[in-house]
Amino acid sequence: MVSKSYADDYTLAELMCIAAARELRDGENIFMGLGLPCLAAPIAKMLYVPNAQLFTEVGVFDWVPTDPTVMGRGPMHIFDLPLNVGSAMLGDMLDQLGAMMMGGHVDTAFLGGAQIDKFGNLNTICLGDYHHPTRRLGGVGGNTDAACLAKKVIIILPHERRRFVERVDFVTSPGYIDGPGSRRRHGLQPQGPNVVISTLGVLRFDTQDGDSGTCEMYLDATFPNVSAATVKEMTSWDLQVSNALKQVEPPSVEEVILLRSLDPLMFHLREGRY
Amino acid sequence: MPRNKCMSAEEAISQFVSDGDITYIGYNNLPQALCHEIIRQQKKNLTLVGASVQELAAPLYITGCATRTLTGYIGGAVGGTLVTELMDTGQLQFEDYSNQALTMMFLAGALGIPFIPTLVFLGTDFLSEKCINHPGGWLKEQKYKVSQCPFTGEQVVLLPALKPDVALMAAQRADEEGNIQVWGPLGDSKWALWAAKKVIVSVEEIVPTEVIRSDPNRTIVPSFKVSAVIHEPFGAHPWPMTGYYDIDLGFRAGAVNLYSDIEAFRKFIDEWVYGVKNRREYLEHYVDRFGYGALQAIMAKPPIQPTGTISYGYVPHLSV
Repeated sequence: MVSKSYADDYTLAELMCIAAARELRDGENIFMGLGLPCLAAPIAKMLYVPNAQLFTEVGVFDWVPTDPTVMGRGPMHIFDLPLNVGSAMLGDMLDQLGAMMMGGHVDTAFLGGAQIDKFGNLNTICLGDYHHPTRRLGGVGGNTDAACLAKKVIIILPHERRRFVERVDFVTSPGYIDGPGSRRRHGLQPQGPNVVISTLGVLRFDTQDGDSGTCEMYLDATFPNVSAATVKEMTSWDLQVSNALKQVEPPSVEEVILLRSLDPLMFHLREGRY
Repeated sequence: MPRNKCMSAEEAISQFVSDGDITYIGYNNLPQALCHEIIRQQKKNLTLVGASVQELAAPLYITGCATRTLTGYIGGAVGGTLVTELMDTGQLQFEDYSNQALTMMFLAGALGIPFIPTLVFLGTDFLSEKCINHPGGWLKEQKYKVSQCPFTGEQVVLLPALKPDVALMAAQRADEEGNIQVWGPLGDSKWALWAAKKVIVSVEEIVPTEVIRSDPNRTIVPSFKVSAVIHEPFGAHPWPMTGYYDIDLGFRAGAVNLYSDIEAFRKFIDEWVYGVKNRREYLEHYVDRFGYGALQAIMAKPPIQPTGTISYGYVPHLSV
């Protein structure tokens, strides 16, 4: 076993980024959404999954990040200019959300959200009632498209009681909807979200295929210095905890250095961002 | 002789944008200069459409130029309370879709078919009565419909075709005839431009038609679709233009709270929109305020050009 030196000054966003990067699988087609996915996916590609292909909705196909010292910075968002260099193809949104996504070629979509429920349904449109929201949000962009059509979904969002709710205020992006078999009944592929990276840890879903199990989210691993009790307290429903609860491995020095080389302004990585 | 479609932004907006028009304003390659001209001419009751209507829409809502939007993402525009207040009070009507849905609706418009099926929205609350008949909207039952494939019986969602009255875009270059060339990812622009009745494009450079015709794969719509070409360097500023300039973060940092504080907004608009006659004056004002160095700092450098060459060669005199 190779000994690893852990970073001691990483930010929460960096920890989330690395935890997310470790969830990506080699050889997969990975769709990057807004925010941290634009850093976590290239980090994973550079360190762990060299044969994964990275995509964004605007039309970027198979982006290969170049040497950060040449690139200067990584993408700050899904149509940032560094994505134009080193891509295999620059097409359009019909290529991407149509042929690529609806055509069934996206293995993992990597998304953010504002609110999530126990079945992994996301809401990115409003907090409160849609007709009279307490807070109107930006809308879905490609979030709905990816949640409906990608084979698997990885979700990143802050862990707060008002965000981890029994039922989201508006299902913009379907998870397992009402439980086992729901996706199939609604005409979707059965497999939905498989991982949630929150600000407190890593959560998974009790199902292999969308039909079996409870399809409920459970706590699989906590971040360093976070207890399962804290995670349960910050979750509005009675969150189940894995019998084999793990702790998320902190980022290594190498991972943090590489991450910061992609986000030298600490636009996404700064402390307090999440 | 092909018609020369070059004109000023003032002439183009005056001639081709009418009050009440359904107006596309880009996803990327954002036509910021053209949107400022719309504000200067105080157009009214526009409906802004696009996969994601970006932050440059916010000033159009707040000034009342646009009173409706139909989009997958209101995004940056709702970062501040001024726009959400307009939504709350019904002064800005909205219909929420997704990026894919809008692109498909443009595609249907471009193809001349009345509707198009998608698998997006299945299993979501978008299909609920509550969403379809929401008080902030106007489409009601015309928004979309759940149906079955007539061949397989599979569930699908039918989206109506969308044909903008006018599409605005910023692009890298064009010839005087209006053959528009763009590089970088295209977002929803190609199908929005094809679907639109009129197309107005600001370009960084006007080039001889021979330049366009030496690399025709880069043209996204042919000239007959285009009504006006405006030579407008930095036409997307403070947003980026592939190969020309990057996002101007310094300028953006000076514009915080713009969409939450009406006084800050008015001051900004007075200075950068009403205070200048056109983009040339905007740039002169920019250089006066921040120095030429600030503009230089966002210019793309060094150029990153394709390596290797491509050829469109063929055999001119085939023999049998």
